[in-house]
Amino acid sequence: MTAARFDELIHPSTRLSIVALLAAADWVDFAFVRDQLGLSDSALSKQLSTLEQAGYVHIERPVSDHRRRVQARLTPEGRAAFNGHVAALRAIVGSAEPELLGGA
Amino acid sequence: MERNVTPLEARAALDTVERGRLRIIEEIDLPAWYWWGLALGWIALGFITDLQHAWLTAGATLLFGAVHASVAPRVIDGRRRSRHLRVSADVAGHHIARLVLGGIIALAVVTIAVSLAVNADGAGHPVTIASCFVAVIIVLGGPQLLATVRRRARAASA
Repeated sequence: MTAARFDELIHPSTRLSIVALLAAADWVDFAFVRDQLGLSDSALSKQLSTLEQAGYVHIERPVSDHRRRVQARLTPEGRAAFNGHVAALRAIVGSAEPELLGGA
Repeated sequence: MERNVTPLEARAALDTVERGRLRIIEEIDLPAWYWWGLALGWIALGFITDLQHAWLTAGATLLFGAVHASVAPRVIDGRRRSRHLRVSADVAGHHIARLVLGGIIALAVVTIAVSLAVNADGAGHPVTIASCFVAVIIVLGGPQLLATVRRRARAASA
């Protein structure tokens, strides 16, 4: 079971969307993430750089069909941080559910 | 720990996580060319079998098996339809390859059964006719099979 650990770096909405996509895949093309989330190249680059500097994301630049591509993958540390963050979010929701139900 | 994150904000964040997972689940599939190639190979094998040359049939069957064995491992897990990502094994599940291979074995049995029935009816080229029938099942049923896998993955994710 994953220990709940709220992660301030992952939590901002855009970054959480990026990490959620990466968490469900082994690797994802830069273009796929950009198109799915409707981000500009520069905005996505900035977010990925932040995650890469934190050691959460690894960026690769393989060459295929004579074109340079950019692929991102979560590192084991990034995956652990994401799982801990999701567990923390579930704990917050879970602890409040009796109140929410009572207030409904 | 968390800085004043309300339960509603946490719920919204979990919804964001869920949306990301669902986007990736939509990428679980086999490439269309796999189903078409399998169907055309099936028909070709049926046609060759109807020629009733044992060595030719055995050779064609071995060739069919060898080509499939060389191609299938790259795509049959359902995680590589797109060139833009590879779905994680946790999300796709570990059963897609077994499901597809089990389907192929079942279709081989169906081909034999239909061939025997067509042959008993006195029609010519019974294996070719049975193979065409099965090829239609492959082309129409293959994508449906993967759609069911995606539906189950979505349900498991909810």
